[in-house]
Amino acid sequence: MTEETQYRVAHVRRALAEDSRTAELGIRVNVRGDDVYLSGEVTTENRRADLERVLREVAPEVVVHNDVRVADTREPARREELR
Amino acid sequence: MIRVAAVGDVHLGEDARGRLRPALDNLSGHADVLLLAGDLTRHGALDEARVAAEEFGGLDVPVVGVLGNHDHHSDLGDDIAKLLEDHGITMLEGTATTIDVGGERLGIAGVKGFGGGFAGKCASNFGEREMKAFVSHTIERSEALRNALAGLDTGIRIALTHYSPIPETLRGEPPEIYPFLGCYQLGEVIDESGTDLAIHGHAHFGCEQGVTPGGVRVRNVAQPVIRSAFATYGLGA
Repeated sequence: MTEETQYRVAHVRRALAEDSRTAELGIRVNVRGDDVYLSGEVTTENRRADLERVLREVAPEVVVHNDVRVADTREPARREELR
Repeated sequence: MIRVAAVGDVHLGEDARGRLRPALDNLSGHADVLLLAGDLTRHGALDEARVAAEEFGGLDVPVVGVLGNHDHHSDLGDDIAKLLEDHGITMLEGTATTIDVGGERLGIAGVKGFGGGFAGKCASNFGEREMKAFVSHTIERSEALRNALAGLDTGIRIALTHYSPIPETLRGEPPEIYPFLGCYQLGEVIDESGTDLAIHGHAHFGCEQGVTPGGVRVRNVAQPVIRSAFATYGLGA
């Protein structure tokens, strides 16, 4: 990873964690040149969109690939028996 | 058998109101108790906590929880805990509660816990004031869990935390950030206290299953890990 890429990852990750519109500490940021790939999970569709909004402000020059998924809130299909 | 449901890191807010409720409305079909492993809110704001209180309040099984780091972000941890308690949710912080399930007694001891890292790769209570404050919090919260567990005389005991007591359930997270995700002191206390199961959250990229050095099963129930409204475990015969 080049020096510039490392700092870009650091800036983006901190922005997503510390900006009150996102407050997401659990988002993975991969930078490949001018392409930024986000992965992980958030609670709602709105928050997924907010990640992109904040990222475009912090790094307007990059192409964003938002691979973040929205939490699955269905009932579990199984129970684990601990014996 | 006692059926335990658990989830952490739901990060509720106004935009997420009602999202979990369809699954929770059928909770007694799955479990005898629901454990909340912290990070119920995003910013630790009271309006977010109110959404959590309404989401988890009035269910047909007892609900027991701890707060997480997000729930402390606005310095309103005590107010959030009280609001949840007012909605019938038992909130633990260095305390314990006992629940009767079909004549069997289940004890739950809870604490938020803290980071610090794991054996051989952890922070020390030494140096700058800031560093000592960090590690003192690790030690203090772990000792609070010890006292809470010691006060339980139930047949089955569960330790409920937000931070992890072992590194194994963090696999998938970058190893460099493990010291911010948990501490060995929690695991040591759990092993010394004869606990039957340890439940935690916090590590969104971690994995569900692990075991302490002393052989206590550990489950990371962060919602991005379990990928459902809650996970369920059966304990005892």
